[in-house]
Amino acid sequence: MNRIGAMASKLRVPALSIFVALFIGALFIIFTDVEVLGRLLSDPIGALGLGVGRAATAYSALLRGAFGDPETIGKALASGGDVQLWARALRPIVESVVASVPLIFVGLGVSVAFRTGIFNIGGAGQYTMGAVGGTLAALIFGGGVTPAPIAIILVMIFGLIGGALWAFIPGFLKARVGASEVITTIMLNFIAAQFVFFLVSNVEFIQKPPRIQPVSKELSQFVDLPGILPIESLRLDIGIIVALLTAVAVSWFLFRSTRGFELRTAGLNIAAAKYAGMGAASSIITAMLISGAISGLGGALVAVGTVKQLSPGIAGSVGFTAIAIALVGGTRPSGVVATALVFGLLQHGGSLMQVTTSIPIEMLLFIQALVIAFIAAPELTLGIVKNPFVRRSKSVTK
Amino acid sequence: MSRTKKSSKGRVKESASSTPTDVAPQNAGDSAEAHQQQVAARIRAGLFAIFAAVSVFITSGSFGVDGNFAFWSDSIGGEQVFFSVPVALLWGIVSFGFIAITLLQLLRGAKFAWRASIGIIAPALVIALLARLLDGTTANLTVFFTSTLSFAIPVGIGALAGIVSERSGILNIAVEGKLLSGAMVGSIASSITGVAIAGPVAGALIGALLSLFLAWLGIRYKVDQIIAGTVINIGALGITSFAYLRILQPYSEYNRPIGIDTVDIPLLSHIPILGPIFFSLSPYFYASVGLILFFTYMIYRTRWGLRLRAAGEQPSAAGTVGVDVVKLRYRAMLIAGLLAGFAGSYIALSGTGGFGINTSAGKGFIALAAVIFGAWNPIYAFGAALIFGMTSAATTLLSGLGVSLPPQILLSMPYIVTIIVVAGLIGRVRAPASAGRPYDQG
Repeated sequence: MNRIGAMASKLRVPALSIFVALFIGALFIIFTDVEVLGRLLSDPIGALGLGVGRAATAYSALLRGAFGDPETIGKALASGGDVQLWARALRPIVESVVASVPLIFVGLGVSVAFRTGIFNIGGAGQYTMGAVGGTLAALIFGGGVTPAPIAIILVMIFGLIGGALWAFIPGFLKARVGASEVITTIMLNFIAAQFVFFLVSNVEFIQKPPRIQPVSKELSQFVDLPGILPIESLRLDIGIIVALLTAVAVSWFLFRSTRGFELRTAGLNIAAAKYAGMGAASSIITAMLISGAISGLGGALVAVGTVKQLSPGIAGSVGFTAIAIALVGGTRPSGVVATALVFGLLQHGGSLMQVTTSIPIEMLLFIQALVIAFIAAPELTLGIVKNPFVRRSKSVTK
Repeated sequence: MSRTKKSSKGRVKESASSTPTDVAPQNAGDSAEAHQQQVAARIRAGLFAIFAAVSVFITSGSFGVDGNFAFWSDSIGGEQVFFSVPVALLWGIVSFGFIAITLLQLLRGAKFAWRASIGIIAPALVIALLARLLDGTTANLTVFFTSTLSFAIPVGIGALAGIVSERSGILNIAVEGKLLSGAMVGSIASSITGVAIAGPVAGALIGALLSLFLAWLGIRYKVDQIIAGTVINIGALGITSFAYLRILQPYSEYNRPIGIDTVDIPLLSHIPILGPIFFSLSPYFYASVGLILFFTYMIYRTRWGLRLRAAGEQPSAAGTVGVDVVKLRYRAMLIAGLLAGFAGSYIALSGTGGFGINTSAGKGFIALAAVIFGAWNPIYAFGAALIFGMTSAATTLLSGLGVSLPPQILLSMPYIVTIIVVAGLIGRVRAPASAGRPYDQG
């Protein structure tokens, strides 16, 4: 079978899922518009036209926010080497990549756990604790205490440790007493947020003076991650490179190493893994440690490099998004990176959409939920697109 | 196409094997299980002993401090009755209780009814803790009790929803999403119609709709039930936040529900002190007590309950004797959805604010913890919800009085307790054996 054909068939369900979800999202924009709803009965065609126009405006704002404004890009091209114009033209797409960095990390972390058959919903908590680790490292070792490169490495190591520790708890409990990781990781997400709240509102060493707001000191004064683009005002730092290297490492680990093989075996059939003499308990704990460490590394790099501050809500909805990314990407590192980039585009595009058309970015959560549903039920997705009005064969039902 | 299909089926299997159902293998050697129970009993005794020692220690340091409490004697906000108790006496009682429980646990081993004893001692412990932390400041206990209930009602009914669906064999982590949707739709329905009853009814209906969607994904498409639940949780958070920002915030007349007020039960509500606590509450409270009792009876004493439990434990056996497992699971999910949506409407309708973004704030997940803590028994689960409610009420009370204790620590308590409970460190609980497993009807 030719490779392109194989690729295309592999991409069919994920791509369809995202498109169908965006389409349903558009319907949502139309039918939550109060003006449209108000005119729907008296002037249905006009109202629908208005709604479709609004949705088109919203999505074109989303595209411009994600990739950049064609007009600005044209100006930059015409100007030749004008740095300022180029910076403005490239900012949207660069920011989209910046937005995808945490998603790549947590998506990879969650994928390792999924591959081992563990439904780690604790990406947000592990990411948060990694951010705590990175922040502590930056405050302790940054600001000239150690040379900058060493401080950066320490930030990453502390992040790894923070995330791994937080993931060890559910991993250990799952392996030893069979506690459901679904519940324990959810609870640990809440505890992590409360813990950060405690740190940034009670600990003088961490809290930003004059200690009124619950946020940490500005971390850029302590550690600055080097940028990787020639234009200084574009803030893409080494985080993305570490993210891509992590993806390569995870890919090697899962598909080329013995331990990775054991983890995947445990994920596919835990009984068979045990029978073959692979320790199920140690597989679970290893997978959770790696999973948490990757998410934690992301938390540390993003807190120190991009956000430059620790706050209780630092994880945002990254934990949810990561689940969608892992599933859409087929828990394969390459798929995760690609999907994270798409979601990064959506995320940054969505924020511009919110500013210009006041359509809340929360819509993306809904779209993510739809994408997960479609990916998890491929028959459903293909059914919708193929023959929306014919019921699927009975073989699916009973 | 075939490849993607295969891989997604693989995932379903993968995590089916990791669901909490395999907490305790059902038929694994009886002696091994007995041994495990013995160990758990000893761990419990050890924990109780630690608590007893701590209590004795606190008692010895509390002489001379008075715990000042107040009750509203005739009605909420009316006249207060003040009284004070020596903190040392309260802690003395708690210490005695813990010592007694420790001894009983040691003597009776696995047979000891430790859940009930925790249920008895927990309120005393919380009150004693409050008195100690208040350090002389007066606390109104009526407020404490009502705020306990306002937390326990959604969590308790949410837990009941979890119990009904998991007893039927469908893992239900979507309670949170249903609470959230029930809260929003309840608020909107109540605001638009101007009829108080429309809120809970609409909330229950949207909960049922989501629940059927979950069942449909899980039963028809055999989507992993944890993933399906996650879909609902994320989707509900997204839709409700989106609709709030886009409609409810600019047009706030859609978010001014008719609040469901407390009702005074004639005669009983005039009993001094007890009246305002027990007989002047939200109708939701009486409804939840009724629902808990009703479903306890239904699950354990009726044919429907027997079939429900059979479908959750051994669906193939139930199918063999002619139970339509698929239909039964759909119906159970319908009931679970009605309950969860109803519970959610309480969140928006009991206070004054209507719906707010993420207004359920994790109560649906705490409800799952109550399910596990209560060993899938409605009454125990409601007890757990009350205990969690007390922790939350104590936090609110203490932070309102400016007591110098980081509120984050107390606020994390329900989550930490949940982890300890789920970990089964204090005794294993066994989930319905087939919860989370798709069922193939021949």
